[in-house]
Amino acid sequence: MKKLLITLLLVSLSATAAHAGLKVIGKGDNMRLDPSNFPPQMKANYEIVRVRCVKCHTLERTIVAVQTGVAPISGQPFDRNATKAYGVKMLRKPDSNMSKPEVKASVELLNYLLSEAER
Amino acid sequence: MSSRKSSLVLALPLLALTLLQLSLPKGAHAIPAFSRQFKTECSTCHTIYPELNEFGDAFLKNGYVYPGKPGEAVQPADKKEGKIEGLWLSGLPELLPVSFTGTLDVAYNNDAFDGNKVDLSTRSLRLQAGGAFRDVAGFFLTYNLYSQGTQTSATASSSPASNANTPPSNSPDIYEMYAIWRHAFGTPINFRIGRMEPKLSLWKKSNRVILTPSYASTAYTVGSSFSQGSTPFSLDAPEDALEVNAVLGNRVFLAGGVVDRNGQKNKDGYGHISVKLGGTDFLGHEPEIDLESDSVWDYLSLTLGGFGYAGSNGKFNDRGVAQFKNEFYRAGAEADLLYKRFHLKGSGAFGRDDNPTFSSTAPTPIDSKAYAVEGEYMFGAPVNLITLFRYEYQKDLNGRTRRYIPAVSYAPLQNTKVSLEYIFTDAPSGIQRLTLASLAISF
Ligand code: HEC
Repeated sequence: MKKLLITLLLVSLSATAAHAGLKVIGKGDNMRLDPSNFPPQMKANYEIVRVRCVKCHTLERTIVAVQTGVAPISGQPFDRNATKAYGVKMLRKPDSNMSKPEVKASVELLNYLLSEAER
Repeated sequence: MSSRKSSLVLALPLLALTLLQLSLPKGAHAIPAFSRQFKTECSTCHTIYPELNEFGDAFLKNGYVYPGKPGEAVQPADKKEGKIEGLWLSGLPELLPVSFTGTLDVAYNNDAFDGNKVDLSTRSLRLQAGGAFRDVAGFFLTYNLYSQGTQTSATASSSPASNANTPPSNSPDIYEMYAIWRHAFGTPINFRIGRMEPKLSLWKKSNRVILTPSYASTAYTVGSSFSQGSTPFSLDAPEDALEVNAVLGNRVFLAGGVVDRNGQKNKDGYGHISVKLGGTDFLGHEPEIDLESDSVWDYLSLTLGGFGYAGSNGKFNDRGVAQFKNEFYRAGAEADLLYKRFHLKGSGAFGRDDNPTFSSTAPTPIDSKAYAVEGEYMFGAPVNLITLFRYEYQKDLNGRTRRYIPAVSYAPLQNTKVSLEYIFTDAPSGIQRLTLASLAISF
């Protein structure tokens, strides 16, 4: 909760982030986010996601989930209540090679992106 | 008649046609039809197919409906959003839910009775179909379109391969074909009817990395094979059954059913219970995990299962009536332990047959037992490889058989698999060493 509040605070303080939606670069397999307006902590978290979350699939899956609010495969809501469970699901895949701190950072980023996408 | 009703009536013949076309091969659940429907990769439900992972098991238990969002109750998905209305009204899936698996096997047997040490003569093509109509009715079908050849063994079989190089073992047949009424009357209870492997073992026969069926608990047969007109009973053989099953409290699975056997009045009955501790629950929900601190349960899961089966069979006379009846039962206990890349499957089963040879004069009861331990290690990306070792033991009418199977399975693509097994069998009839290489492609 504290984390979330800090995140939200960071978001509201960051004047540059005050634009609608997310800045998405490229399409399909090359889909990425433009982190230049992210607060520093989220820039770091994005670095983790950009590197770790593309081992088994592209970033498109993650970006589409954030943009639409629906997990693309299960068709279930992808909101702040759901991000942790998806993070845990990815973490527990036998060959994810992810650590808990990495997944925690990813979940924080997803929550940040969701609140950004809502704007 | 409402328009919905009339389109349902129209859809029925279509549906029947679709069902007719749906046939499946021996036992894979993990079928490309599901991958196409849900636009997801095989690894969503499989380690290396056809073995299921935890989520694949939940999908199976959920009657081929995609389990709900992790951490939330499964909603009945009776919505048509994003679907083509006509198809939705008809209850039809948007893609014909059919797929195929082809396998090519090469066997090496130093002691082949005919000197044919390297044998390339077995192959099979199976058709699989499965899915759910509007999340209410699930169905699954495996049809052996073609299977040919048995590997050359150390002893001659009674039906030798012909010179035409087409062994006479092609037996197209419906292996499984069943329908599921999901969550009947809004309860967690599912009804399953048709030809199916009764739910006994934790793992369906196909739910293995290698194809050699395991004695315990599935392919455990007590020899009535010498007896004409019947086949020996094996727990994983598909039967004509009606089953009731349910997931209770997310982590308990119960199943029970009756089996209708040809040629006799008596029905067989069976029951199964399993309990899962840790890991993804039976409904596909991820466990609660604290991302700040570690616990052994983060990656550990343990599933315990038990089952019983009681029934009777007999030797068919020329009118197909079972005679010289054999009353039998089987009981078993199993454990499935998963920790990260390591997977251990252990099972033990025992039983009694009061006339296993269908003798008309001197029935000789026999107690039998089988157990198996299989350990697997998954390497995973970038080399999608599983190594495993199985030890198994069976004691039946013929005596004691021990089998040692080291194997490796490699999937260069998720739908393409190459596996290599070495099967060392120490049986009353002698020692057999068989090396089996197999290439399987599912599409
Ligand atoms: C070990 C391989 C692997 C890694 C690493 C991985 N994923 Fe996935 N991901 C999958 C698979 C397989 C699926 C298919 C559906 C499923 O298993 O839920 C998937 C599905 C998804 C989905 C769609 C879920 C749905 O139900 O629609 C999202 C979103 C996602 N991944 C995000 C991520 C994020 C974020 C990360 C990094 C924290 C990540 N993935 C890392 C394998 C992986």
